[in-house]
Amino acid sequence: MSKQLLQRTTKILLVWLPLILVVCSLVFYILMRMQAHHMQQKQLLLKQQNVWSAFIAKRGNIERRIACEYEIKESNVSMQPSWNELSDTTLYYAAENKNLPFQLLTKQFSWNGQNFQVTTFVSSTEISHLIIKVFLIEMVILLLLLAAIVFFNKKSSGTLWQPFFATLKKVNAYDITRAQQVLLPENTGTTEFDELNKAVNALVGNVNAAYLHQKQFVENASHEMQTPLAIIRSKLELLINQPDITEKAALLLADITEANDRLSLMNRTLLLLAKIENNQFPDTGQINVSVLLQNVVDNFEQYYENFPQVETDISENVMVNANRSLIEIMVSNLVKNAVEHNIPNGSLLLHLSATRLIIKNTGMPLQTAGEELFERFKKESHQTKTTGLGLALVKQICSLYGYGITYRYESGWHTLTVTFL
Amino acid sequence: MKLLVVEDEPSLLQSITEYFEQEFFVVDGAGTYNAAIEKIETVGYACIILDINLPDGSGLQLLQQLRRFKKDDGVIVISARNSVQDKIDGLNLGADDYISKPFHLSELNARVKALIRRKYGHGVNMLQSGNLELDLLSRTATCSNQPLVLTKNEYDLLAFLLNNKNRVVSKQAIAEHIYGDQADNMPSFDFVYSHIKNLKKKLKEKGCDDIVQTVYGLGYKVAV
Repeated sequence: MSKQLLQRTTKILLVWLPLILVVCSLVFYILMRMQAHHMQQKQLLLKQQNVWSAFIAKRGNIERRIACEYEIKESNVSMQPSWNELSDTTLYYAAENKNLPFQLLTKQFSWNGQNFQVTTFVSSTEISHLIIKVFLIEMVILLLLLAAIVFFNKKSSGTLWQPFFATLKKVNAYDITRAQQVLLPENTGTTEFDELNKAVNALVGNVNAAYLHQKQFVENASHEMQTPLAIIRSKLELLINQPDITEKAALLLADITEANDRLSLMNRTLLLLAKIENNQFPDTGQINVSVLLQNVVDNFEQYYENFPQVETDISENVMVNANRSLIEIMVSNLVKNAVEHNIPNGSLLLHLSATRLIIKNTGMPLQTAGEELFERFKKESHQTKTTGLGLALVKQICSLYGYGITYRYESGWHTLTVTFL
Repeated sequence: MKLLVVEDEPSLLQSITEYFEQEFFVVDGAGTYNAAIEKIETVGYACIILDINLPDGSGLQLLQQLRRFKKDDGVIVISARNSVQDKIDGLNLGADDYISKPFHLSELNARVKALIRRKYGHGVNMLQSGNLELDLLSRTATCSNQPLVLTKNEYDLLAFLLNNKNRVVSKQAIAEHIYGDQADNMPSFDFVYSHIKNLKKKLKEKGCDDIVQTVYGLGYKVAV
């Protein structure tokens, strides 16, 4: 399942950024705790020194104890290792009538040959509150940052990817048969897109050149084949007029003549296809399709021994603006197709309105997929009499004039629809 | 009668020459523009069969040159198939007729004969074989002086065969003669057979048996 790039980056951001933020917050919290601890130690040391200085200055005549501030005790104990280290305690705080957390630091001093234990206290409530507040603020800031990152990522990707979508649109609209030039800007302001556009420009150039080459090849090849085919035809005509021709030779010659004529026809059709592709039918005019269709049907009724039952529904004076020979070829190929691929004693329905031409005929279902019907040399069974180019030609003419063409098979009926608009 | 064939493909030139020599024409061939100009300047031809694409010039230029020499030789232009512009240009420059490549020699033969009849016919617009006669002006046919009632296609077919008297004309050539480019769209040329069958029947009724002969699977011919 492909997702939009934006969705994917957002997803990554939303998964990883919070994780990083949590880790960062933790580190931040620990660092802050350490900093607070250090600060309290400094505070207590300072207080200790101040108290002791005051004690000496007043020659011991100061308060020995101020609750929650300091305490000076005479002591005979030697230095404990726990002294000079911060430690937690709770003290009864009279003003609030409850026990509150404090930190204390004890140190031993000597004065007048007497040892004194000086303990100073500092409340840890304020600092804990401060830590919590700072931490909360930090969390809010980080969350805002996360939201901002996601938001700006969303917002900027629209503008940043704009050249990409512009390229995509142009590439989608590219139609090789029209040999369009696709000129994408190579200075979008983003190196990657510049390179992409450069690559697409080069690719389209190459594709167009290759396509042109192929088209020219088909045209040139058909053109070159015309002369040898004409020579074969003329020699055959001379040959069949030889006076002492045997029946066997005559039958062989008849087969050769027929095959050669089919080859000529195929070659002419290929040339015609190439010419339509190369847009070599510039002369257009108003053509009355109604009259043309009726003529084609009338003519075909003469050619075929077993012409199907025809039913026509032809609106009068349906006009199109196109090249006359091409429309003739289109209509007669469609009718011919419907006659040839019919069943014995089959039917043919012709409907023509201002917007479309529908040709329906009875027939066996196709062996291949319907869309392949319009490809060159796609033949159902090996009907040797047909060139396999008829419907390819129809399709080519339709695409030249922007007509739509569709094929459908339904309960014994083949339906080909040409939409003029 | 003299005929000039201007065609750059030697093999094709040779075929055309041979075919028309069998029709008792005196045929000159030219493979290049310059060779053709030389011949046109010195000799008058009943008909010039002119290919437009020549290695050293265009058949159309040659046509202009011809009119500049104030010659009124009949000209049939050979143009590439589907090249409408060549046809139009050729006719505008005074060509009498055009034929698209590849063509049947029998068709070219019929065109040349028609051209010569039109240009130098002196009223001879009759085709005749045995007791069969076709009047090309009134488009009527008689057999032993009895009128034959023919459809348009049957008439064209008979005229085509008479123009190619004593020659085998293929089904394909007949189909293209009658239906022109439309013949491309035909699945088979069996309808030629039915036209011939009807024609033979009508001829037989009026006593013109065996004028149209079937030559194996190859085609048909009118023999005298």
